[in-house]
Amino acid sequence: MLTQLIVYFAYFLKTSRRYQSAKLFFYNLLENPNSRLKSYFDIFMICLVMLSVFLLIYEVDNKLSESEVLFEHCVISLFILEYLLRGWVYSDNHKIILEHYEKAKYLNVPFPLTKVAGIMLGKKINYIFSPLALIDLLAILPSYRPLRILRVFLIFRLFKLFRYFNSIKLFANVIASRRFELVTLGLFLGFLVFVATTGIYLFEKPANGGQVKNLFDAFYWAIVTVATVGYGDITPQTTGGRIVAMALILIGLGVLSFLVSIIVAAFNEEMDELRESSTYAELHRFDSFIIICGFGRVGQHIAAQLKKDRLHFVIIDNKEANVLKAKRLGYLVIHEDASKNGVIQNAGINKGATAVICTTGDDVINVYITLTSRHLNPDIRIISRANRQNNVKKLYQAGASNVIQPFEIAGMVVAEYIGQPVAFEAVLGIIREESHVIMETLCVHPGSFIEGMNIAGIDLEQRKLMLLGIISANPAHQKHKNSYPIKNQHFYFNPESHFVLRDGDLLVVMGREYAIDYFRDQIEKSRLKKGRKR
Amino acid sequence: MKRIAIFGYSVMSLEAMSRLNQEQCSIVFIGKDDAEAALVAEKGFETKVIDFRNDDDLRSIGIGADVDTLFCFYPRDFDNVFLTISARAIDKDITIVAIVDDPESAEKLLAAGANKIIDPYEICGRKTHEMLTKPDITNILDNTVFGRHDLKMAQIEIPKGSCLENTNTSELKLNEQHNLILIGVVDRELGDQLHFAIREKEHCLDAGDVLVVMGPAREIKAFKKQVEQVENGEFKSD
Repeated sequence: MLTQLIVYFAYFLKTSRRYQSAKLFFYNLLENPNSRLKSYFDIFMICLVMLSVFLLIYEVDNKLSESEVLFEHCVISLFILEYLLRGWVYSDNHKIILEHYEKAKYLNVPFPLTKVAGIMLGKKINYIFSPLALIDLLAILPSYRPLRILRVFLIFRLFKLFRYFNSIKLFANVIASRRFELVTLGLFLGFLVFVATTGIYLFEKPANGGQVKNLFDAFYWAIVTVATVGYGDITPQTTGGRIVAMALILIGLGVLSFLVSIIVAAFNEEMDELRESSTYAELHRFDSFIIICGFGRVGQHIAAQLKKDRLHFVIIDNKEANVLKAKRLGYLVIHEDASKNGVIQNAGINKGATAVICTTGDDVINVYITLTSRHLNPDIRIISRANRQNNVKKLYQAGASNVIQPFEIAGMVVAEYIGQPVAFEAVLGIIREESHVIMETLCVHPGSFIEGMNIAGIDLEQRKLMLLGIISANPAHQKHKNSYPIKNQHFYFNPESHFVLRDGDLLVVMGREYAIDYFRDQIEKSRLKKGRKR
Repeated sequence: MKRIAIFGYSVMSLEAMSRLNQEQCSIVFIGKDDAEAALVAEKGFETKVIDFRNDDDLRSIGIGADVDTLFCFYPRDFDNVFLTISARAIDKDITIVAIVDDPESAEKLLAAGANKIIDPYEICGRKTHEMLTKPDITNILDNTVFGRHDLKMAQIEIPKGSCLENTNTSELKLNEQHNLILIGVVDRELGDQLHFAIREKEHCLDAGDVLVVMGPAREIKAFKKQVEQVENGEFKSD
């Protein structure tokens, strides 16, 4: 009966949307390193910890007012709540129960309730004894009155900052990566201090006219000397003692500089990787972004345009100079060879990237990157640059959605400029949105008021819009004249007034931006209204 | 008829030459050596071989006389700057279009007297950006203005005595009568800028005004003919 109740409850939790979304919310808030919510929460907690520590210092000499005590209580409650929530998010008990229940049902054996309870408890105990959770606990416990003796542990609150500062974690990781060197050096240092302690203790006994009364004095002197601090409260008086001091100082200098060099070297080696990983982390925070392979002249122009549009993008280039240039401009950049599968994959071709742009100066590489990207993501948009006319076909074969030819386009532009300067400047102005009039497409959404209407009915003239044509893949329109095939759709130029709009058609209109926006709003609103009525 | 001289052999110059309407302008390609000239001549263009550093050579191909437009398509910026300076010194009114490799050279070319600077990398970057942000519009324009499709955008200047003189833009009804869309008007009374035909303002057409229209090539041709033919009073409707 109890088992059934537990299993029923576990199923309930599994299916409860509210429970799942609450847990996801707290996961994003507390643990998910890619969530923006967590970074806000971390900043808030850092401020709170600092404030509470200042309050503790203030409390040493002053009596706290009521409001300050209340603040302290609030802080502690928040710490306790955070501790418990982290414990809750740490593991999913209902999943453990259901997993074992289903296994037991399949094998036709009784449900091992105690074993499952043990596993669940084990997971939570794992959490309690994890280093960061221990720090959390030690930050909370001393506030409990009977445990006032543990006040010194209040300083552990500062250690809580470890949780919220990523850079501290990185520092710890770098140190950890040099464990072998540091342990070796530590052992050597320990041995040195031991020899010096014994030596000075033997030479500098008060009986010999020295100042070292006991072994602790000797140890203290050795540490102060090896660190080259040398307070001078205990100084060697005998010749033997002085020789030990000289040797210790010289070796101590060597050890110290060795220690510094190990840490610096570790940072140098890890820095690039750290920077790269922070690039990836930032990238994964974006819902959508564009991958630009190659930061040459064309790549730079594209990046500048995208930045103006406030679109997110990442640059992949393996040339040092280009990477430095991109960094100087403040762009996200990955210093790698974009033709490798792993690089494009890590950059997120399947995780939020909406388009890949291959703009290296070498067609061979562009073909290769295009092929790699298409292989990794069959649906993504790939725009590729072809420097030679005869490579255009190869790029399309490799899977490019569009191919751009810089020199051909420039040639075309020159010809248009000479032939039709006014028309040409007008078009350029429209596309670049330099003039106040823009060209846009408006979608005929199903259920919107313009669906099923004819062109005359929309009265575009009244709306101060100019209709150039309609893009549609709907076969119902094919009887109309003036149709031009564009990829797998048709562009119907200058449609007649009885042209009836169907769902999914795109109106190509020209007009002032606000006129277009207003019309688009009306279409959207009418669709929502109709949807609600239904 | 416009006469255009093109300097420098590249993908770009070939593309520009093939796009220019040979009925409206005569093109002469200026090569550095016979091999270059022969390659272009194969495609059916008039070619000449001169040393562009020599002013007399430049005069000999018609700069300062019948050449209206000059394209400087040398891959190196300093060649283009030198050619621009030389040509501008010979002819003050010539239109000079130059390409630029290093963006820093753009100012130098302008100072040397070029009218229009083309940065192929910039154009390509913009184009890619347009494709990303407005794929539908870019597709249409590629297939019309820039494309080899039948759909074109053109500008038509209204000559003196044309039937369209003293007509209001709203009375034109080009979309119903000619299957053309009026994109905009350059109303000389108001200056040289283009006013888009989005029914904001009525323009009365006079001689010298320019209509920018979009439509199938043959309809544009027919309309153009109609606008220009009326000079001697024989207005024919088609």
